[in-house]
Amino acid sequence: MPTAVLSQLGDGLLVTVEMTALAFAGALVLGVLLAICRISPVPPLRLAGAAYVTAFRNIPLLVLLVLFVFGMPEVGLLYPLFATVALTMALYWAAFVCEVVRSGVRTVPRGQIEAARALGLTFTQCLRFVVIPQALRSMVQPLGSVFIGLALGTSLAAAVGVPELTGQAQLVTLKYDNPLTSFALTTAVYVAITLTSGLIAGRIERKVAIKR
Amino acid sequence: MTTRSSLTLPALLLTLTVACGLTACSSSSKMPAPPGSSGSAAGADSYQQVIDDAPVAAASDIPAGSLMAKIKARGTLNVGGTDAAALFALKDPVSGKVTGFDAGLADMLAKYIIGKPSTNRVQIDVTTREVLLQNGTVDSVLATYTITPARAQKVGFAGPYYSSGDAILVKSSDTAITKPSDLNGKSVCTETSSTAANDIKQFAPSAKVVLFQTNAECQQAVEQGRTDAYVLDQALLLGDAARDKNVKVVGQPFTDEPYGIGVPLSSPEMKTFVDNWLKLIESDGEWARLWKATIGTELSGDAPTPPVVGSAAGS
Repeated sequence: MPTAVLSQLGDGLLVTVEMTALAFAGALVLGVLLAICRISPVPPLRLAGAAYVTAFRNIPLLVLLVLFVFGMPEVGLLYPLFATVALTMALYWAAFVCEVVRSGVRTVPRGQIEAARALGLTFTQCLRFVVIPQALRSMVQPLGSVFIGLALGTSLAAAVGVPELTGQAQLVTLKYDNPLTSFALTTAVYVAITLTSGLIAGRIERKVAIKR
Repeated sequence: MTTRSSLTLPALLLTLTVACGLTACSSSSKMPAPPGSSGSAAGADSYQQVIDDAPVAAASDIPAGSLMAKIKARGTLNVGGTDAAALFALKDPVSGKVTGFDAGLADMLAKYIIGKPSTNRVQIDVTTREVLLQNGTVDSVLATYTITPARAQKVGFAGPYYSSGDAILVKSSDTAITKPSDLNGKSVCTETSSTAANDIKQFAPSAKVVLFQTNAECQQAVEQGRTDAYVLDQALLLGDAARDKNVKVVGQPFTDEPYGIGVPLSSPEMKTFVDNWLKLIESDGEWARLWKATIGTELSGDAPTPPVVGSAAGS
C-alpha cells in the first residue's frame, strides 16, 4: 500500500480527532447547562431539560445527521459540512453528558448536604466543598464512556460527506480496491483511540476515587 | 477469521447507514417519486412481460458439477445487488419488489438457469462485492458493476452488458460548469460506492470530492448548493434530471464505464455460460425490451446497441 494512502488516512484521522474534540467540548458545555436545568427548582426548566434529553437520546445519531445536513439548508441555513456535523454531534451527546452529570450529583448522599447546611455552610459553600468534588469523581468513568461513544460515532459523518477516517478509508478503497487493508488499518486506529481513552479514564478515576 | 470480522463490521455499518440514510431521505416531502415505484401501469406490465418471455436454458447447457447445476439444484440464484439505484434496481416501498434494468437481468438469468425467476437478493456495496463472490455467498453480482482490470484479478466478469460513462449534474441555473475541467476548485459530490470519485480526481485534480451514501442525497446536495456538481454515470443522472427540473445534466460522458456481471473467478464455466446468455438475449431482442421497460422510461429514443461481450479490458 503506497505512502499516499497513509497520508490520506492521516488526513482523515486529523478530521476525526478535530471533530471528536470539538463535539465533546460542545457536548460538555451544553450537557452541564442541561443538567443544571434538570436539577433546578424551577419546573419549566426541569421540563425543558427533560424534553431535550428525551428527544435527542431517542433519535439515532445517523438520522439526526441526515436531518441536520439535508434539513437545515431547506430553511436557509447552509453551513459547511464539518460545522453542521460537529454541531449535530455536540447536540446529540449533550443529552448523554447531561444524564451523567445529573446522576453524578445524585450520588452525593442527601445526608451530607443536610449535615453541611447544619454546620452552617452556605448553599455555595455546600456545593463547592461537599457536592461538586464528590460528584465530579463519580462522573469520570461515565464521561469516558460518552467520549468513546462520541469518538466511534464520528465515523457516521462519512455517510454525510465528511472525509474523516472512515470516509478516507472509503475513498482509498475505491482507488485501490483493497478494502481489507484500509479497513483493518482504520479499525486499528479506532481501537487505539478507544483503548487509550478508556485507560486514561481509568487512571483518572483511580487517582480521584473516594472510598465510601 | 480476523480478516473476516474486520471486514464484516464496517460492511454491516455501511449497509446500516445506506438503509437509514435512504429512509431518512425518502421521508422528505420534496423528494420526487422514483420511477419503478409508482411507474405507469403500462411500464410495469411490459417489465413483467419481458421477464415472463425470457428464455430458459436447455438441460444440455448445464453440465453436472458446474456452478449452474448447483444453482439449479438449489432453486434460487443468489444475486449481489442494491435496491437504491433508480432505473437499475430500486425497491418499491409498498410491494417490496425490486425492479430496474439490473434487477430484471437478475430475474432473467435466474429464469434461464432454474426455469423460474427465483432470486435471493444479497445487499452489497463496494467493500463487499469481491469478498462475497470469493467466499460463495453470492453466485453473481449485478449492480452497475464497472469492469476494471484490477477487479478482474479477483472476480470473473461476464459482459459487458451495458455501457455508461460519467457525466455532470448541476443546478439548472448554473452556467459555469460545462465540462470536467470546470470542476477544478469546485466541490463535487458522488456516491460513496462509485468509481466516479477516482474519475473526478483524474479529470479535475483540484476538485473537492464529497461522498454521500445515496443518489437522492447527492442530488439534494446540488439542489441546496452544498456542492457545485454531482458526477455519476450518465444514465442515472438523466433519471434524476428527468424527475427534477431544478437540476440538469451538462456535456457528454467523459469516461467509459462498461458494466459487467460479476461471477466467481473459480467458476470459469459460469462466466462462459452468462456470456452466452447475454449474447442470446441481445440477439433475440429481449435486452432491448428490458431497456425500454426500465432505462427507456426516462430516456427518449430507441434502445442503444449493447456493447460487444468481451470487449472491455478485464471481461
